[in-house]
Amino acid sequence: MHDLTQEALAQELKVTRQTILAIEKGKYDPSLELAFKIARFFGVSVEEVFIYD
Amino acid sequence: MKQNTFYLLAGIVGLIEVGLFWLSVVLRNPLIITAGFIMGVGLLYVARMTVTDIREDERAVLISQKAGSRTLEVFWVLFFAVSLGSAVIGFGTPLGLPRPRELPRDFPRDEPHLGYFGIFQMIMLCCIAFLYIGFRVYYARKYGEWDSDEE
Repeated sequence: MHDLTQEALAQELKVTRQTILAIEKGKYDPSLELAFKIARFFGVSVEEVFIYD
Repeated sequence: MKQNTFYLLAGIVGLIEVGLFWLSVVLRNPLIITAGFIMGVGLLYVARMTVTDIREDERAVLISQKAGSRTLEVFWVLFFAVSLGSAVIGFGTPLGLPRPRELPRDFPRDEPHLGYFGIFQMIMLCCIAFLYIGFRVYYARKYGEWDSDEE
């Protein structure tokens, strides 16, 4: 969808690449603020990126 | 200030503290190292605020918080237990110190018993550091600090 690296996304969201990786792997649940930032970055709603289980 | 410059400064301050400790022992003046240590730590705290290339995000903060609170949870029990033991010694003698033996006047006196307790406390503080590192490693691993991409 996006030609985007983890490093570039991390820099955009002002977090480390390891945080992006940890979120992708489900090892870390981001704060609401970061979740909204991620959703806003991709232009979608939070529910489209994260699901509560 | 760059982070590496800060680490260099921390090393220099550490060496100065060792020198002050030695001076304090030679002059038998505990105020030198006490005041020097507080000033050294204050200097490092101020210097750390000027470091510009720290990348600390919410996950790193969470790891620090979890490791810190777990360390405190374990350590206060140990520290309180040891302090209770010390209190028993304190209440067990009239002045809280063992009665000194009669020694020749020029014999080097082995008087600072409370100093030995200070050394014991420092050993306990070193244990805190190791405990904290252990918890930090545990939580860093839990929150994917050393994970890598599969591809």
